[in-house]
Amino acid sequence: MSPFQEHGSHITRRHFFSQSSHALGWAALASLLGPDRLAGHAAASDASVPPSLAHFPGKAKHIIYLHMVGGPAQMDLYDYKPVMQEYYDKDLPDSIRQGQRLTTMTSGQKRFPIAPSKYQFAQHGQCGMWVSELLPWTAKMVDDMCFVRSMHTEAINHEPAITYIQTGNMNTGRPCLGAWMSYGLGSLNENLPTFVVLVAKPTNTEQVQAISARLWSSGYLSGEHAGVSFRSAGDPILYINNPPGVPAEIRRKTLDGLQALNEINHQRLHDPETLTRIAQYELAFRMQSSVPELANIAAEPDSTFALYGDAAKTPGTFANTALLCRRLVERGVRFVQVYHNNWDTHSNVAGRLPDQCRDVDQACYGLIQDLKQRGLLDSTLVIWGGEFGRTIYSQGGLSKENYGRDHHPRCFTIWMAGGGVKGGTIYGETDDFSYNIVADPVHLRDFHATILHLLGFDHQRFTVKYQGLDQRLTGVEPARVVTELLA
Amino acid sequence: MRASCLCCVLAVASATIAADPSIQYNRDVRPILAEACFKCHGPDSASRAAHLRLDQHDAAAAAGAIVPGKPDESEAIRRVESTDADEVMPPPAQQRQLTAPQKALLRRWVEAGAEYQPHWSYITPVRPPLPAVKQAAWVRNPIDAFVLAKLEEQGLEPAPEADRRTLARRLSLDLTGLPPAPEGVEAFVNDTSGDAYEKYVDQLLQSPRWGEHRGRYWLDAARYADSHGIHFDNFREIWAYRDWVIDALNRNLPFDQFTIEQLAGDLLPNPTLEQRIATGFHRCNITTNEGGVIAEEYAVLYARDRTETTSWVWFGLTMNCTTCHDHKFDPISQREFYEMAAYFNNTTQAVMDGNIKDTPPVLLVPPPQDRARWDALDPEIAAARQAVEQRRTAARADFDRWLAEAQPAGLASAVPGDALSFFAALNDGAAEQVAVTIDGQAKSVPVSAPLASEAGHVATAAYKSSPEVTIEVPAAGDFEKDQGFSFGAWVKLAKTDGSGALFARMDDQADYRGWDLWIENGRPGTHIISKWDDDALKVVASEPLKAGQWTHVLVTYDGSGKAGGVKVYVNGLPQGVQVQKDQLKSTIRTGVPLKVAQRSTQSRLNDVSIQDLRIYARTLAPQEVGQIVTGTRIAYLATKPADQRSDAEKEELFAWWLTTLDQPYRETAAKLSTLEQEQAAIKGRSTVAHVQQERPEPATAYVLFRGEYDKRRDQVQPDTPDILPPMPPELPKNRLGFAQWLFRPEHPLTARVTVNRYWQEVFGTGLVRTAGDFGVSGELPSHPELLDWLAVEFREGGWNIKRFFKLLVTSATYRQSATTTPEKLDKDGQNRLLSRGPRFRMDAELVRDYALAAGGLLAPKIGGPSVKPYQPDGVWEAVAMIGSNTRDYRRDSGENLYRRSLYTFWKRSAPPASLDIFNAPSREVCTVRRERTNTPLQALVTLNDPQFVEAARSLAQAALLHGGDSMESRLDYVARRLLCRPLETAEAAIAQASLADLSTFYAAHPEDVKQLLAVGESKPDSSLDPASLAAWTMLTNELLNLDEVLNK
Repeated sequence: MSPFQEHGSHITRRHFFSQSSHALGWAALASLLGPDRLAGHAAASDASVPPSLAHFPGKAKHIIYLHMVGGPAQMDLYDYKPVMQEYYDKDLPDSIRQGQRLTTMTSGQKRFPIAPSKYQFAQHGQCGMWVSELLPWTAKMVDDMCFVRSMHTEAINHEPAITYIQTGNMNTGRPCLGAWMSYGLGSLNENLPTFVVLVAKPTNTEQVQAISARLWSSGYLSGEHAGVSFRSAGDPILYINNPPGVPAEIRRKTLDGLQALNEINHQRLHDPETLTRIAQYELAFRMQSSVPELANIAAEPDSTFALYGDAAKTPGTFANTALLCRRLVERGVRFVQVYHNNWDTHSNVAGRLPDQCRDVDQACYGLIQDLKQRGLLDSTLVIWGGEFGRTIYSQGGLSKENYGRDHHPRCFTIWMAGGGVKGGTIYGETDDFSYNIVADPVHLRDFHATILHLLGFDHQRFTVKYQGLDQRLTGVEPARVVTELLA
Repeated sequence: MRASCLCCVLAVASATIAADPSIQYNRDVRPILAEACFKCHGPDSASRAAHLRLDQHDAAAAAGAIVPGKPDESEAIRRVESTDADEVMPPPAQQRQLTAPQKALLRRWVEAGAEYQPHWSYITPVRPPLPAVKQAAWVRNPIDAFVLAKLEEQGLEPAPEADRRTLARRLSLDLTGLPPAPEGVEAFVNDTSGDAYEKYVDQLLQSPRWGEHRGRYWLDAARYADSHGIHFDNFREIWAYRDWVIDALNRNLPFDQFTIEQLAGDLLPNPTLEQRIATGFHRCNITTNEGGVIAEEYAVLYARDRTETTSWVWFGLTMNCTTCHDHKFDPISQREFYEMAAYFNNTTQAVMDGNIKDTPPVLLVPPPQDRARWDALDPEIAAARQAVEQRRTAARADFDRWLAEAQPAGLASAVPGDALSFFAALNDGAAEQVAVTIDGQAKSVPVSAPLASEAGHVATAAYKSSPEVTIEVPAAGDFEKDQGFSFGAWVKLAKTDGSGALFARMDDQADYRGWDLWIENGRPGTHIISKWDDDALKVVASEPLKAGQWTHVLVTYDGSGKAGGVKVYVNGLPQGVQVQKDQLKSTIRTGVPLKVAQRSTQSRLNDVSIQDLRIYARTLAPQEVGQIVTGTRIAYLATKPADQRSDAEKEELFAWWLTTLDQPYRETAAKLSTLEQEQAAIKGRSTVAHVQQERPEPATAYVLFRGEYDKRRDQVQPDTPDILPPMPPELPKNRLGFAQWLFRPEHPLTARVTVNRYWQEVFGTGLVRTAGDFGVSGELPSHPELLDWLAVEFREGGWNIKRFFKLLVTSATYRQSATTTPEKLDKDGQNRLLSRGPRFRMDAELVRDYALAAGGLLAPKIGGPSVKPYQPDGVWEAVAMIGSNTRDYRRDSGENLYRRSLYTFWKRSAPPASLDIFNAPSREVCTVRRERTNTPLQALVTLNDPQFVEAARSLAQAALLHGGDSMESRLDYVARRLLCRPLETAEAAIAQASLADLSTFYAAHPEDVKQLLAVGESKPDSSLDPASLAAWTMLTNELLNLDEVLNK
């Protein structure tokens, strides 16, 4: 190798990590360009090490984040409040509300009558977690799960609240959790993105909320860390398919010609970026076969559908999405962000919540069992939860059979499983009204700090310089790793 | 307040003679202090530890932290050098330990006198002298002297000048954003005159593409988009602002005026429409209409966005830190942020955008060709209206004369009588019979109970429906579906929230067969039914009748069996309708009788007054319906004895007389009507401008504790940050004064920041790489003197943008070849020293526009509503709310598929998919520097997006039709359009090998040929051999993806 080539390769490598797609690790570059294109043995020997910035070995190598858009009603699902039955249609005591700011949807209400949950609860598992009758499958696996009933936030509307829980800030423009993970840990695979987004379609669409590509943006991190949205209809990744009438072998021929011409151009100008482009076109070609393979669930055995439910056969359902989550993680995708909409039960809890639960209950069970059977659960953190909770008092009409609930930031329940959290954990306690936290609060910053810890990061040191500041997911307010949740 | 730290620092700086000239505070010391110390010992008062600040000489000296000249007595040096973990600074927990050379440098700096400098960007630039260079011959303009001096310092040679074809392409891309036409390239290449280059540049600067291309960068800064951004993210019609930007740049509006009009055009004396459209700049921020939001919270966010955007664009400072606390690095306090926010806080714009496209304040913007007429119309209409009023007054006597002689019978005879198959005057009063006429025969119909009655509208008494009374006429209204008929009456509804039949011949017990005159929540309409609800017509007017008011309602049906054959008239005027059923195939005849105020058994309408019920066995013409209305009512009024006629009735008669019989009035009214129609037509062709409008109260703001909207602290008045030159008292304390202050000659930032962004557009990276951060934490300029020289040049040159770009692109620096060498890659890897010509991947819009232009598809139209070109299905739907009007992406067709990318509809929560992949921003916030990544997803766009495949086919087709007969000449045709040069031999051989493979394949696979050629809306030329076109399409697709094509 001539000194010039050697130098060029060196530049290319550095350049590659700093400016080009994360989806291609050094190993992939090596395999794409061939060993003769690389700088030497030293480079080749560290080829298997992804460019991790972790501070210590983390337990979780993957995250599947199931975001329930709209904010599930914690007291109808996980935060059991039997005393409330005695308070039916009584006013929420001022001593409980404590001047809490309300959304302008209910701040004009004359009364705040309490709506006890109409659903039956029972205790399950060794840990004795109370679970609503709406979630019979979830109830079977509570000993694998870690419940946090004392999550809290400050945001009271969807847009800021979702942005907050995903990016650590209510205003748009910051990187989301998935982008941070991509940035910090890099890729585990050679032909799929590091961070994938799936939007599941709810069965019921009475109160669907907005989501936005900004939620999976990379903020001030490099654009390669943004989530890649996989679609349930059409091409799973935008533009992944060749045009009609262009079979793979024809695409291969044009890419061969393209590469040869690009190499001539590189010899003329010696721009290292040209080599990167050649590599990226090769990766694109490989993705063209790996992505459809990933989305093709026809090869799954019947047992898979028995586990996730038949809905998993229908593209776009939550169950189908859950199955894709496993297939993505299996193939080395770091972070899968799922959105399931329609949890915003301002009215008609009775008409809507059962549909919501039916969508996710068996599918979550299937996903966790599936990961467990494949030995992936220990290294995969599964998170389920919304952007805030809901009020114990009814929004709009109240009857024994039906009621509505407004947004409530002061407490809500999420659960996690796998990835280094302790199964059978029930953490945090709210008052009898599921209104205020009375023990072990977990702010969403604490939640973020804990997730980063599971990935191998000290949240205080996991920073990126932007606008002169060391920016971090947890921001400038204090945050704590909730060690009580860790295995 | 103005006795700021700056003065002290300057005093110190000038008084001290640097003992060690090799150390410069700004270059060497400040970066170390900023990184390691300022976080706790810097400008932010809230986080300051031990009351110590090290960013100011006096404070540091007073505290004894720094004793100039005496490092051993300086506590700061002692602590920095300490090995005691409890003493050493920065504390070990901070993870910011200083290196030995850094410590040594601090010691030497203190030893030399600890000379501070104000941060470079806060000092007004002065034009520096040109540096001496060895290779003076290389220098074409002053830019080159600065660049070359640096290169020589590093021992680097500039690259040789690029060849003319490369320069032709580069210049065209930089000045117009489009590849040059091959003829233009050849003309330039063959132009042997000495000023060939300059002529070519001038020609490009004159192109209207200049404004589109330059404007695109500005629209990133302005965060321009076509949707509101938050929650519903509905359509916002604000493209008039985008077109203003394009036009202003094409007019070469100087940058100071360009700025002042955008920030404060509304506050200029007698602002023009254009100047007010310009204020759309600060209407581009994202807004919400989410239910439940607290308005004040978002009002604060909007003002913050406008303040931060202003700061990014004109100060090059990131002020957003100071929303919550004093800036950690830059001497800007939280209070100063809110003082500046006060300028942008005083708007009449409501927080909730209403999910409408024209959230006030807005102005109507007629198309340019209509503006003169639009402006003229208001006075013309006023004059015409006056003429109408004059005639109305003057006509009174003529009217009185007419009325005295009026012949009501003559009036009544105007009412159509032909084919009147049923008529009931319903003016019988409290009778037990109803007089009717059936097919011309007068009859009497008994009723079940005495009629209720009330004062009539076309006769003294009117029938009023009541539950006790049923009127039924078996012989009336028996029609077939293919027969035209019409039916109507004068009616008065007691209320408009009910539904029922005014009259009907309909069997509601047998699939509702028959027809009715129907009222649905006050809206009149009809059912014409064979079998409800799959063999029926249902048409209902869009607008309800007014309760308690006599109104004439009539429906005509033309027997077509189509809803389109049904017309609903109110007071003689055809109504807009909603078609609810539109399928009638079978008979509508039924044996049940015609009933008034109900169907056969149900759908009663009680307390409705009815008169003059008519059924015609034909379709009435519109003017006949009008004749019924006037012929019944007017005849009635005219018949009344004058003393029984109320004033209102007399006025009604007068109004009718004027519009029907008075020729002078009719002429003046017609003129007015023509003008009003013209005005309405222009309005229909117009768009709106979202504008700034200042509230009458003086601007103020509140300091918000930690930036939280509900934690108000001190109220503050508008003011500029103290670190910048003060605003002279003669300038008004409002946005206008602020905008003018930006262009004071002593302002240190505006010119620097702007020329740096222009430099970045052309060279890929700014002289200050952090184009949005000229503060302490931003990067230092690579060529500080050059930046200052350019800033002064721009300012003194009258802020002339075209002139400035001409300066950039005529430099030898710009004209260099992009070829690099190992030495340059080592010493100048990122080309910050400008050791070669600019070469970088084009921005998203250029990539697409390039393909469209090369393919001959690009539509030349400038401006207008945003367009929706090809986009994969589901991109919007995946994220949008149900009910959002930007949920369904309906692709345009024809020309709109091929417009320049800056006209692509920009939905903020789902930006244009293919542009997004190439790092186009979401336009949610101000962007002054785009990212530039190189990813496989980008490869997939240019390989597979139908837009690019179609462009490849289009170029291939042009090559086959116009590129001569040989493969070589056709290949050359393609190459000259994509690369602006012929292929080299080795390149041509590779392309030909590809073509051979592709030709073999497509010759054997006609089905694939068919599919490939069907991509895109345009149709391939049918005279061409499809297999050959397919092979050339894929070859062109290959070449379109060349690194050389994708790069500038």
